[in-house]
Amino acid sequence: LSPYVKFFSFCTKMPVEKTALEIVEKCLDKYFQHLCNDLEVFASHAGRKIVKPEDLLLLMRRQGLVTDQVSQHVLVERYLPLEYRQQLIPCAFSGNSVFPAQ
Amino acid sequence: MAPSTTVTRRVKRKAPRAFLKRTLKQKKPHLGLGRCCDLLIHLNCLLFIQRLAEESRTNACESKSRVIKKDHVLAAGKVILKKSRG
Repeated sequence: LSPYVKFFSFCTKMPVEKTALEIVEKCLDKYFQHLCNDLEVFASHAGRKIVKPEDLLLLMRRQGLVTDQVSQHVLVERYLPLEYRQQLIPCAFSGNSVFPAQ
Repeated sequence: MAPSTTVTRRVKRKAPRAFLKRTLKQKKPHLGLGRCCDLLIHLNCLLFIQRLAEESRTNACESKSRVIKKDHVLAAGKVILKKSRG
């Protein structure tokens, strides 16, 4: 969990106490638990055993992160580095091929 | 601000993909993960952390403290965990 805790202290732009970081870790634990439960429910509702990107999109919509103004691709472009963006957002390549295929 | 206080540590942008897959496997052993879904989970995590950081920052500002303390994060965590229900 340490990369996320580091990201937290980067985001706050403020000194953070050590005990507060422990609380952040606890929050992250809870968050992962909720996340896994939600993903399971979404996937089983669609009758699948594999979590697909649509489930994540639905989850982010429910959380109010993705709205009609802000689409998922905008968030991907804003927060993820280039190598990951290339894997997530479909883009035309040479030879009239689109990767990743829709 | 003095230049010594504005030193920002480098933040790794690489996603801990193996870690994400492992935790999901631990909690839900029968659930498979599609292609690139772990990246989206990572994105979701980053957004959650950012929201948490903002909220605890405002809490700290309201109580006029210079550092973020335990109860600021606790109060922020309650609000943000509620917001990020699926």
